[in-house]
Amino acid sequence: MGAFKTVRNLTVITGVLAGTGYLRMPAEQEFAENLQERKIMPPPIETEAWSEMGQTSLAGALGGLRSLMATMISLGAHSHFEENEWYDLKRDYEVITALEPYNEFYWTHGGWHLGYNAASWARHYTEYSPARRRLLEMEYLEMGDAFFKNGLKYLPDSEKLWFEIGAMWSHELKRPDYERAAEAFEKVRDSPNPIYRRRYLMTIARLPGREVEAYQEAVRLLREDGRKHIIAPTFRCLLVVLASNPDLPADSLRPSLDDLFSSRERAYQDLFNYRLRCQREGFYRGKVDEILKELIEELKVPDELDPFVTPRKKPIYRSDWREALDEGKARRGLEGLPDWMRKRN
Amino acid sequence: MINIPKTMSKSTAPTFVSPRRILIIAQSTVTQLVRMKVFYFLAPIALLFVGLQFFDGLWYALPDTLLVEQELRMHKNICLGTMMLFGCLFAVVSTALLIPGDIEDRILYTILCKPVPRMDYLLGKLFGVIFVILIAMGVMDFLMVATLEYRMQGMMTDITATLRERGLSDTEIGAVEAEVRAHGSTVNLQFGVLAHFLKAAVIAAVALLVSTFSTSTLFTIAVSVMVWIIGEFQWIVRDGLFNDAEFGELPSTVDQIVATTISVIFPDFRLYGAIAEGAARAETIVPNDVWQLGGLAGLSLGIYVVLSWFVFRDKEF
Repeated sequence: MGAFKTVRNLTVITGVLAGTGYLRMPAEQEFAENLQERKIMPPPIETEAWSEMGQTSLAGALGGLRSLMATMISLGAHSHFEENEWYDLKRDYEVITALEPYNEFYWTHGGWHLGYNAASWARHYTEYSPARRRLLEMEYLEMGDAFFKNGLKYLPDSEKLWFEIGAMWSHELKRPDYERAAEAFEKVRDSPNPIYRRRYLMTIARLPGREVEAYQEAVRLLREDGRKHIIAPTFRCLLVVLASNPDLPADSLRPSLDDLFSSRERAYQDLFNYRLRCQREGFYRGKVDEILKELIEELKVPDELDPFVTPRKKPIYRSDWREALDEGKARRGLEGLPDWMRKRN
Repeated sequence: MINIPKTMSKSTAPTFVSPRRILIIAQSTVTQLVRMKVFYFLAPIALLFVGLQFFDGLWYALPDTLLVEQELRMHKNICLGTMMLFGCLFAVVSTALLIPGDIEDRILYTILCKPVPRMDYLLGKLFGVIFVILIAMGVMDFLMVATLEYRMQGMMTDITATLRERGLSDTEIGAVEAEVRAHGSTVNLQFGVLAHFLKAAVIAAVALLVSTFSTSTLFTIAVSVMVWIIGEFQWIVRDGLFNDAEFGELPSTVDQIVATTISVIFPDFRLYGAIAEGAARAETIVPNDVWQLGGLAGLSLGIYVVLSWFVFRDKEF
């Protein structure tokens, strides 16, 4: 009798669960698909990520703790960064992003570790020959690029990821590839973030042969929302220098220094610094030298701050004016310096 | 021979489900669980949540909103994960202990010899467990909200000061603050807590069903935990059923039968986790999602309770 009851109960339980489940399953599936479409539910973990997962993360993922496991692994990944264990770090971030693919932070962070930290480590790892260092550095840069781009598969609208790709390829202390950087920055040239919008201009202004395009981009930004961009010194300088391009049509917009800079002194300071960036980062030079010479004449700039007399590698700031003032005072008295240089901040 | 008037026998016959009886049994279940000192586990959880305040997971404290959001997200993930884990474990263990405990203490005989339908007994037990889970979740939720809010306010002060130093306008600062605030204690986050509570309630109902036919507490716990785990990863089998074949290979007939059986028998617990994780990421959870989830949880609870009654109704002790 007892056995009969057990069999009967189990049969009824299985039957009822299967019957109601048959009705319930489509509703659950539809709900799940709706959540997946809205990116609330992450997609299933990919096969490669399964094999990379350790026992703990696997248990966590199966136990419905994907986000928590991702958090824990990301904290653990930090130790790989400290120990320069880059392949372990990459594997960790692959697992993290498989667990939580809709978290932009993990994609930007993983890409940053590979493209910046790992690449820098490779560049300075003196136990390798220079050629091998270079190869390894490029490998990590490509890994970083690929990592960011993988993130874009899940977050195609992420401006941050496109920006990070562009920033990595335009970084002057790495291996700049301005063509690739421009490709990435072009995707965010209409972003609501003015810093992101400007970067396309800043990049193509460094690409020989694209000066006219850069000028058009600068004018577009100026006309769109000039106030947000004009606060950036490089943008102001670019407008002046790009407009000095002789290849432009005669009727092109050419803003004057007074339209863009709060004072002539400020114009000199910014253009001086811009000229340094031309030397270092390959920005379009245009007629920056001629403009600077005119300002030197007009403002009676001392030799210490005249790049054509005293070559200087550092940019100049207001504090430099003070230094020049003090040096001038010691050497030849205040009369050698123009009035505007005596102003404090 | 005693003649019992027909009217009297009718009035004394117990109704199938009586809310009052269920409430009394639920109250005694709560008392029973409280006497087991189940709320003591809240002490280490409180320590963990408060301790999170001093845990700086991101060593670089830059005023980048993405980093701030990530710090808050980490806080929420740890809190919600802990709530889910403790809620579900508590649901399984406490439910598994109740019926064997009642038999051992002879309480069951005292109750069932009275005109108490077995359905009332089961519902009372289940609601008692669910109520205790609700209180525990409520306390953990309060701790999470308090610590999260404290942490967020501290970060907000730093960010606002940094942005002011950088000369951003009030409108721009306001926009950044709104972004950060979306990662604080919001209604969305409460939907996440509710999702974990519903999951724990369904798991308690599963444990109740298993405990009606199981002969040992250990078996009940083991089977209930297995159901929980299968429910969490049954998307793997569903994926094979609903999506295109991987590497162009269709699953075999046997695979399809196994996958269908698992899919229809076990509830999909991934849905609950998805709502909670979406809430932690500050994704927009609409009330309709919560209604759908609540509906599915209610359906599962109903089915498990009816099945528990079916097994328990003629069980001999």
